[in-house]
Amino acid sequence: MRRDNRPHGVAWWIWALGLAAGALRTTNPVLLLVLGTVAIMVAVARRSGAPWGGSIATFIRVALIVMALRVVLQVVFGQQIPGHVIVTLPSVPLPAWAEGVSIGGPVTVEGLLTALVGGLRLGVVLICFGAANSLASPREVLRSLPGALHEVAVAITVALCFAPEIIAAVLRVRSARRLRGRPTRGLAGLRGIAVPVLEDALEHSLQLASSMGARGFGRRPAVVAPRRERLAIVGVVVGSLMVLIGGYGMLASSSSVPAAAWVGILGAVMATGGVALSGRRSARTRYRPAPFGIRSLLCALSGWTAVVVMSVVASVAPGTITWSAYPLTWPSLPAGVLVGIAAGLLPLLVAPRPSAVRIGEPIGAMAVTS
Amino acid sequence: MIRFEDVSFRYGSDQWVLRDLDLSIEEGELVVIVGPTGSGKTTMLKMIDGLVPHFTGGEMLGDVVVDSRSIRGTSPIEMAETVGYVGQDPTATFVTDRVEDEVAYAMENLGVSPTAMRRRVEDALDLMSLHELRERPLRTLSGGQRQRVAIAAVLAASPRILVLDEPTSALDPGAAEEVLSSLTRLVHDVGMTVVVAEHRLERVLPFADQIVLLGPDARAISGSPRSIMEGSPLVPPIVDLGRVAGWDPLPVTVREARRRSGDLADRLSTVTPPSPSLITGEVIASVDDLSVTYGGPWVLHSVSLEVRAGSITALMGRNGSGKSTLLGALAGMIPADRGSVSVDRLDPSTLKATERISRVGLVPQDPGLLLYCQHVGVECTTADSEHHLAEGTTAAAVERITADLDHDRHPKDLSEGQRLSLALGVVLAAEPLLVLLDEPTRGLDYDAKRALCIELRRLAAEGRAVFLATHDVELVAMVADRAVVLAGGEVIADGIARDVVRHTPAFAPQVAKVLAPQSWLTAAEVATALSGVES
Amino acid sequence: MSGRRTPVIPLSGRGRVLLIAVSVLGAASLAWPFVWHASSGAGQAHGGDAPFELLLLVPVLLGLCASEIARGRLDARGIAVLGILAACGTALRIPSPGVAGFEPMFFLLILAGRVYGAGFGFALGGLTMLTSAVVTGGVGPWLPFQMLAAGWVGAGAALLPAVGGRAERVLLAAYAAVACLIYGMVMNLWFWPFGAGGSTGISYIPGASAATNLQHFMIFDLSTSMGFDLPRSVINAVLILVLGAPVLAALRRSARRAAFGAAVRHPNGTESGGQNVATDAAPELRSEVTEPA
Repeated sequence: MRRDNRPHGVAWWIWALGLAAGALRTTNPVLLLVLGTVAIMVAVARRSGAPWGGSIATFIRVALIVMALRVVLQVVFGQQIPGHVIVTLPSVPLPAWAEGVSIGGPVTVEGLLTALVGGLRLGVVLICFGAANSLASPREVLRSLPGALHEVAVAITVALCFAPEIIAAVLRVRSARRLRGRPTRGLAGLRGIAVPVLEDALEHSLQLASSMGARGFGRRPAVVAPRRERLAIVGVVVGSLMVLIGGYGMLASSSSVPAAAWVGILGAVMATGGVALSGRRSARTRYRPAPFGIRSLLCALSGWTAVVVMSVVASVAPGTITWSAYPLTWPSLPAGVLVGIAAGLLPLLVAPRPSAVRIGEPIGAMAVTS
Repeated sequence: MIRFEDVSFRYGSDQWVLRDLDLSIEEGELVVIVGPTGSGKTTMLKMIDGLVPHFTGGEMLGDVVVDSRSIRGTSPIEMAETVGYVGQDPTATFVTDRVEDEVAYAMENLGVSPTAMRRRVEDALDLMSLHELRERPLRTLSGGQRQRVAIAAVLAASPRILVLDEPTSALDPGAAEEVLSSLTRLVHDVGMTVVVAEHRLERVLPFADQIVLLGPDARAISGSPRSIMEGSPLVPPIVDLGRVAGWDPLPVTVREARRRSGDLADRLSTVTPPSPSLITGEVIASVDDLSVTYGGPWVLHSVSLEVRAGSITALMGRNGSGKSTLLGALAGMIPADRGSVSVDRLDPSTLKATERISRVGLVPQDPGLLLYCQHVGVECTTADSEHHLAEGTTAAAVERITADLDHDRHPKDLSEGQRLSLALGVVLAAEPLLVLLDEPTRGLDYDAKRALCIELRRLAAEGRAVFLATHDVELVAMVADRAVVLAGGEVIADGIARDVVRHTPAFAPQVAKVLAPQSWLTAAEVATALSGVES
Repeated sequence: MSGRRTPVIPLSGRGRVLLIAVSVLGAASLAWPFVWHASSGAGQAHGGDAPFELLLLVPVLLGLCASEIARGRLDARGIAVLGILAACGTALRIPSPGVAGFEPMFFLLILAGRVYGAGFGFALGGLTMLTSAVVTGGVGPWLPFQMLAAGWVGAGAALLPAVGGRAERVLLAAYAAVACLIYGMVMNLWFWPFGAGGSTGISYIPGASAATNLQHFMIFDLSTSMGFDLPRSVINAVLILVLGAPVLAALRRSARRAAFGAAVRHPNGTESGGQNVATDAAPELRSEVTEPA
């Protein structure tokens, strides 16, 4: 329930996933760098002062680690593909069971660049996720889950509300143990602290359950249609299977892609239908849902312009959005695609600058540590 | 509205919790359920909502009919529009994390239309005076505010019956007043039926239309407050005073008693009330210019005081005034940011565990935290071996406080009073010079409270110092010789308990209010004085 | 004690079907590098890289299926216990979210799955991962796989043979050691086709034999993550040996008190039809007539 006109949390996720899809669509390092920059700029400028606002920094670090990992693996396990050799590392023979795998050997410019760009691609995807984490309020996303996921959403809410209480309980029990002069460290300390905290938490769950029950949690409409329920389940299971088959089909060969895609899409529709059908079971209503207004819509769409433009460009001039180190060339700079990516900056215009730390956003009050 | 028809109940095949309960509650009544701990109050309340037996299992005879529906055929989920149930600990009942969401939660489940929901949330917030708090995270609220949110959260579903289990047990007198006045408003302005279980009768008696008294034999009697108070073993100080003075009918409010107190005041005018001076034993602990922050604003600010051997000091103040922090500092748990604390001329926070616990022992607000064994008996023998005491010392200490403690029970299954006794016994086993208690009477009935008083006096007589933080003014009146009042982390009053509590309206015990300006504090004092006059 | 043998929240027939379906889907979305001998042409269509599409679609559907398990079968008590144990797991995970391999949450997950049953264990594993990701602001592409793998760890504990006492703890500790290693492998498996690139000796090679890809993967796994996986596995096994008895006791005590599937007896009940609807009593208990003393 916000009184300001920040975009909806779901809108931020749609925006970020659009940018991530863009990053997966291209192998052109320049486009990737621009995409990453767009995500970081928006995240830094529009994140709130809430605790999760700092996620973007963490994700940038993880992205750098992934890039480094890929380069290191390339250097250590790189295959002997001809290219411009920078340095030749001593080759280490491996035992028989690792036959066909070599360690060391020549390091080529092409190999390094391929690894770096591959890592960059993953890194940009991670940065897009980090931007979404920084920008979207988890509680807002949680409240927007479809009715079919209501039970899960309640369990998550309970867990999120209660996690800080657990930390408080640990501190309480620890000081009580110190009062009795008992150890608070080591295995004995762990046992002495973990067990009472867990017992209290379980006790708490009983009280919580009766409070939830007494307030109508789990209310079903008078008429439950078993046939519809069964239909919903079949829809979800069969639909998911079809998506999987479609996915495998697309892997199989380029020629079968359209047919496989259709199977996948049909499956997705069936699964969604099943979920919607079972969602109609509950008679719940929602109190003051956060509005998904025009600002949210613009914000969400702006993330997807990049991937749309890329698809169009790819069908006209396939070489522009891809890049390969064999042979070594400069990546091209398609102006249209750059504009499409830059559209991802639209939230800077649409979304208001966040106010200082907002109270009333208690979820995730703990420091970002991941 | 609510009819208990020959109800008996037990969990599994244990003892019967309720036997042949037969009573009816009319629409628009405020009913108070009274009884010693473990007498089945909570079970009875939960039956109105169907939480017992549907959520607990158990064996039930007879039937409870609520709003002409039997709870046997109706689950608590279906009762939600009829009955609103507020449990003992409001924090444990919160499902969401913000005031407004919490209030709307029940209506979301019940499928109330968004417009109606909007209106009812406003109504509920209004009734409980929660408007300014609507955006606040629940975690940042005080105890009284939380309790009001919990009530608003069930009110929003517009139930016709409201059931509350000890709604004021964790609150300071001011916050308790807030909650109770909200409840009376519901009864008088909205016409809601309210059923409340409460230990501290003095708080709810003036508002009650009917009292249900649950006896130790799992049977119950009910009737008007006056008629029940005639024969009740559990009475608030005001009724005690009425009995001592021989008033008939018995008074149930301070106002009634005050209007009839003329003759009693006359009879007492020749007697001087006891006027003890401060105990001048040796200084066991001293706090000098102590300030504590938890990295934020002051929680304690230049507090100085001395605790002497043989004294019982009561530490009073609103929730959040720094009482627990001061106790923690005295126990060496909380480091001082400025100033110093010494117990037995040593800084407790630098002492080794074994040295510390033989000087200072703290029973925290939740005494269960000190207990971690699976059985009471094991708990006692563990404490013995920890403190290198002869086997049975702790058990004997516990025995002295409470005689009937089953050594095979799990500490978590004990009543509040029993758990407190056990924790106190464990702490005392180390023979500390300074005994600290944080809110010891929470959840205690009058008998358990009396037993606690006797034990505290015995400790003081042994030459130890007792220092207790409490909201319970009647306890202070009964047992303390000195009172310290904290507000905003500073000492605002420190002196002889009699004088401090009489001159602080929020902390004055009932008898003092009735007999002011004479300085009597308890009915027992008045009784002693009267027997002296009349003989 | 019958609580030792049967899970507290048993899976319904529908739940079992869904759990199996989710697991098959999940396994298929992870194991494709070994199962499917994709032609190298298809690999090229993905820019020499593995198919990201599979990663984007399948997790969403997995989540939906998992939610179906939670629905209906779990009432307010189940949801409350689920939420609160997930909070405990989150608290265990927060000081060290996977960095040093010190993830003691698995021991709680395994013990809870053991007591409450496979469906509950699966839901708890997923929920714990989700909650801790949200709390730390770390919702990344790895999350669906973490949820799936942790769900398997939790469900597996319930499927182990029924033994009691010390044997149970030893069994669970051994399971924990193995399960944590497998968890680590699963978390590598989803990442491996992308993380190792396309041109190293330990990469996923489209069109290569399953044996080759398996060999490549094993080397990737050993060389990059044994440092995290081994400590995690040892720590959780030790925790189960040390804390297993009291934690199992606490969980079972709570399960008894919550009276899942509670039997309500109305020995002299006067109603006929309506009573059964409300009481949900086990038949043998309902027929037992207890006269008041």
